[in-house]
Formats: sequence, structure tokens, C-alpha cells
Amino acid sequence: MITTNHGLSRRRFLALTGAAAGTAVAVGCSPASSTNTGPAAGSSAGSAAKGTVTVMSQSGEFGPKEAKAAAQALGLTVKTVEYDLTKLTAMLASGNPPDVVRGLGATETPYLVARQVAENLDPYFEKSTLIKADDIDPVNDVWRYDGEKQGSGPRYGFAKDYSQDCTIWYNGGLYDAAQVTRPSGTTPLLFDELLEEGNKLTKRQGAKVSVYGLNPNGLGLFQQLSWMTDLAGGKLTADDLASVDFSSPEAQRALTWYLEYAKAGIGPTVLNPDPNGWDGPTFQAGRMATTLSGYWLGGLFSEDPKSAKVAGFAPAPQFDTNRRVSPCFGGTGLWIPRASKNKDAAWAVMEWFLAGAPAKARASGGWGIPPLKSLQTLMPQKLPYQKQAYEVQMAEKEHFSVTSFTPYVRVDAINTIISRELPKAIKGTTSAGQLADALNSQINAQLEDGKKRLR
Amino acid sequence: MTRSYRYALYIVLLAVVLAMLSPIYWLVQTSLKSPAEMASFPPTWWPSAPRFANYSDAVSSVNFVGALQNSLTIAFITTTLTTLSSAWVGFGFARLTAPGKKQLFVILLSTMMLPGIVTLVPTYLIFAKLHMVNTYWPWVAWGLGGSAFLIFLFRQFFAGIPKEMEEAAIIDGCGYVGIFWRIFLPQSWPVIAASVILSFTGAWGDFVGPAMFLSQDSTTLAVAMATGYVNDKGLPLNNLVAAGAVMYVLPVLVLFMFMQKRFVSGFSTSGIK
Repeated sequence: MITTNHGLSRRRFLALTGAAAGTAVAVGCSPASSTNTGPAAGSSAGSAAKGTVTVMSQSGEFGPKEAKAAAQALGLTVKTVEYDLTKLTAMLASGNPPDVVRGLGATETPYLVARQVAENLDPYFEKSTLIKADDIDPVNDVWRYDGEKQGSGPRYGFAKDYSQDCTIWYNGGLYDAAQVTRPSGTTPLLFDELLEEGNKLTKRQGAKVSVYGLNPNGLGLFQQLSWMTDLAGGKLTADDLASVDFSSPEAQRALTWYLEYAKAGIGPTVLNPDPNGWDGPTFQAGRMATTLSGYWLGGLFSEDPKSAKVAGFAPAPQFDTNRRVSPCFGGTGLWIPRASKNKDAAWAVMEWFLAGAPAKARASGGWGIPPLKSLQTLMPQKLPYQKQAYEVQMAEKEHFSVTSFTPYVRVDAINTIISRELPKAIKGTTSAGQLADALNSQINAQLEDGKKRLR
Repeated sequence: MTRSYRYALYIVLLAVVLAMLSPIYWLVQTSLKSPAEMASFPPTWWPSAPRFANYSDAVSSVNFVGALQNSLTIAFITTTLTTLSSAWVGFGFARLTAPGKKQLFVILLSTMMLPGIVTLVPTYLIFAKLHMVNTYWPWVAWGLGGSAFLIFLFRQFFAGIPKEMEEAAIIDGCGYVGIFWRIFLPQSWPVIAASVILSFTGAWGDFVGPAMFLSQDSTTLAVAMATGYVNDKGLPLNNLVAAGAVMYVLPVLVLFMFMQKRFVSGFSTSGIK
């Protein structure tokens, strides 16, 4: 009797487990349907035929609000997913990628094109009614790559707005208090002057820095060091984009300057980062005298009268070589994956966002320079700081040129290596030369590996 | 215990309590500051003019109510299914015999060593093939699969229940389903409480899963908050993040306060301390 019970009960147990699981599935899923999520509402199958466009971007740039506006303007169904590199990789691998993706044209274009992930958009630009060839700002060349060089060849994306990221925002009040002459709006500061003034402007309370004199870190150290090496008259990345050389005299000049800055303790470094994460709040708190942040930071001050009163804008600095370059390391915009199933609709959304009504709204916000020349007259000039920044920025445009980035590894990977090796040199345990050797060996190994993977 | 020893103990306990509460205090006072005051040096211990508007901004800057509903839905699915399935599997491992049971249990436990991030992309590919992306079905599947840790917890608890109780039930004609539902499960409230709290907080605090598998309009509060409190340039508005975080931790605090006694005894009675 007991044995029989055991056998029967086990079978019943298993059978009931299955039944209960099935019930649980049904019960568990009903809330999903009621909250109207994706395929539960029947969106995945046949979505392309209905003109659904999935945009992968950041909430602050192209979120559900923008998707709704795009849907109303274009008569399409527009969905948004948050930008995430892992998710993008997974979506591409699953054969169901987003139709439009956010990207940093300046550093990502060669990487995307070399992997044959991004669609050549030239045919769309040719047909565009909103984007005319002669209206395109030269900065959009960061989205072009011909297989060897960035800046020429087909267009693979387009910027939503941009900044020349090494231009300077300074706090005039702090300059006056420290009796340091405010930077000129026409003559670029020299790097040595920048360092000297940074030292004078820095204030300390005990061992802590209460006012940062200078933040030259920009959008990433590799980008900054590439630019500084260029200003010094050299090249950090080889012409074939397959190796770097931090040991050249020009690269050493850039590296030595940065180490001097970092050792002086006058601004954020990888060893002593600013807890605020970015310069905006620090500037607003009156704790940042000079930052190489680019025009976009000024967007923050329009609703902050205290900062607007003291903010000033200046050209990107240079070495004493007379070479003047004012680069863009972002050019954040949108691109279309080659595997997108609805490219025409994707382009319609992209064109509307980058050159339609949202582009005009962005232009007047002051959070970046519009990618179309015709929209640049809309840039804010109402407040004195806005007018001054506008004039400096318009003059600065002529010093823009495209810097080619390697297609073999993501620039984040290079910056990770630099951040790992730099602390030893800042602490003085390794010299600039030893740092260069370490960076050359590690970064070149990654580049070589990346090149092999592309073959 | 002498009076001086007791006072010393209270002082130590008070210091520990303050140390534990200080991050919550810092979170609350940050949630009431302006961005400039947040970045001021030296830091202020309390905002000069508390900005309660940060809370209304935190609610209006993202689809707070919608995302809250989605979080609660996912947490409910996960908590219910994971607790039930883990209890059933734990019961099987504790009370039933079958060839290879021990080996299977070792394999189950070894899955705890595998970081979830490693299987993220393959899991995405599987769910994409099954057309489950942008739905809550993945959470149903994960819930039905149970949790290795909770299975272990239930197994340990059930293994401690006297064999005679099970035999008496069988003699009275009760099958294993009845034994599980009527005898074992009613005795396991401490473990159920632990399981509910762990599953709920796990699902409630999960960022990676919803970020990977859901779109922005069906995502959870964790993702909406992490990605939505940004300025026009996508940079974080940390005072709104703090205000949102204060509201975000409330359900977990309430749940823990109601279930803390059982939660603690759940761990102590299952042999895990």
C-alpha cells in the first residue's frame, strides 16, 4: 500500500507540477498583456510591413516623447529602446536590430563601417529634401569613412548637434578673484599658459581641492592626447590606423604636459576624479575655473543666472608650434544598421529628427551646434555670455578638421588601458617614457588582435 | 552584565546604527539639494533651502507611475513563481529519492557560480528566437526555473522536518502533493518569507534584465530612473536620481519591515547563517 502510494503520488506530483506551471504561466503573463508591452500587444510579427521603426537612443535625446512626436509627424509606429552596447550587440546577433541607432560619429564610424554594420546613407542624402549638400556643416564628415581614412567616402550617419570639444569655458569670477587675466576670445591660450593659470586658479582646503583650476580631460584621454600630439606636429596613430606611437617627441610632449597637470593636482584625474562625474554641477557651484568642454556646456547656464553672469568662452588652446586644430570628438548622431528591415522608414525618422522640427528646437537650446549651417542662426544669442560664445564659436569653426580613429578597436578599450597605466606615472613610479612603452605595447597588441579579427 | 559594560555596548550599537543609516540620510538630503549645492565644497549637511520640487520633478521627468506598475508586475511574477517552483524543487531534493539526485543537486548548485552577465547575450538570442523580447514571458520562464539558492534554502529546511511526519501522512493516505501543500509548506513560512524578500528585491532592483529585454515604454522603474533623469545632453541630474531613489527604496523597506522576523528565522532554521 505504501509502495503504491509512493509511485502514484510521484507521478501525480509531477503531472500536477506541470499543470500548475502551465496555470502559473497563464496567470503570470496576463499583467504583461495588460500593460501593453511589445509582442504581447502583437507588435513583433509583421511590424515592418506596418511601418514600425525602432530607435535605440538615450532617453534624454530620443525617448518615448520624441517617438510619439515622430509617429504623429510621419504616420509611422516608432518605438524606442535605451542605448546599450550589449543590447545592440545582442539585437544585431539575433538578426533583429534596431532601425536607427545613436552613435558618436567621430570615434565610432570606422569601427562600425569596418564591421559592415552601418548602412551607406549616400543614396538617402541625395534624395533628401530637408538636408541639402551645401547646407551640411563640415563636422558631419566625421561620419564618413572610405576604408582607409575618416572624413572622406560615403556618409554612414549624421550628427544631431556637435561641439568642438576642446574649446574652453571659464568662470570669469574666479579669474578676477585670482587676479588672472581672462582668456582671450580670439587668441588661443598656449598649453603652458593654461597650466600656469590653472595653478594660480586652484584653491585648496587642507589636502582637498575646493576650486579646480583646470580640467583638460575632455571626452577621453586618448582623444585629447591624439589632438595634443597633432598640435605638437606629430601623429599618435599611424597612417594605416593599425598602431600607435606614444614615444615620438611630439607624443612625449603631449604626455609630459598631461603628467605635469596631473601631478600638480589642479583638476580631476583618474586618480582623483571629480565626484560629480561631469563639469556642469562643479561649474555651477563656482568650483571649476577652466574646462575644455566644448560649446554644449553653455546650454546649462541659460537657466542658471549665477553661472550665466560669470561664464566665458574661449578658443581651443595650442602649443607654440603655430598649428591650430579645434577638433570634434563626439558628433553624436544617428546611423542605420545594414540589417535594418525598414530602412526607408528609418531614414524618414532620422531625417525628421536631424533636420526637421526637433532640430530647430535643439538649435535654439544652446546644447550644441546644429549640424546644418542654415540652423546655426538659431543658436541662442540673447544673454551676453551666449552672444560672446556664439561669436567665438563661429570663428573657431574654421579650425576644425577630422581626426581619423582606428577601425580595429573601440576607443573605450584604448582609454581603459590608458586609465590603467596612468596612475603609476602620476604617482611618479614610472616615467613618461616608460608609460609610453607600456601604452605602445598594450594598445598595439589590442589593435593587432582587432585587425586579425576583421580579416 | 555590569552597567558600564551595557553602556559601552549601547554606544557601540548606536555607532553601528548611525553608520548604517548614514547612506540613507545622505540620499535624503541629496534629494533636497540643487545641482550647485550638491557640488559645493565643503559639502553641506543639510540643504540651505530644501527643494521638495525635486520629488515632483522626479515623478514627472519619467513615466514614473507606468514604470512603477511594470516593476510591480515583474516583481509579482518573479516572487510568486520563483518561490513556488523553488519550494517544489527543494521538496523533491529533500524528500524524494531518484538515481542521480545528488549529482543533479551539485549541478544545480554549481549554476550559482556562473555570473548572469555571461549568459546575457545567449539568453537574449534564445528569447528573441521565441519572440519573447519586449514581453514579460522571460520573467515567467525564469520564475518557473526557480532559483538555485532558494532551492537550496528550501531543501535545507525541508530536510530538517522529521521523517515520521511524512510517514504518518502517507499512512493516512496522503500523497506527496498533499504532503507538500498541507504539511511541509505551512511549516515553512520563515523560508517563504526569506524567499519572497529575496525574490522581490532581486526583481525590483534588477537593471540588466529589463534594460535588455524591454523597450522604453514597457520598462521598469529601475531602468526608467537610471536612464531618464538626464539633461538635454544625456548627463545625469543627480538630485533627481536621489529623489527618485528615495521613492524607489520605499517598497523594499516596507516589505522588509513587515517580514523581517520571519526572514531572519528563515535563514537560521535552514542551516544557513
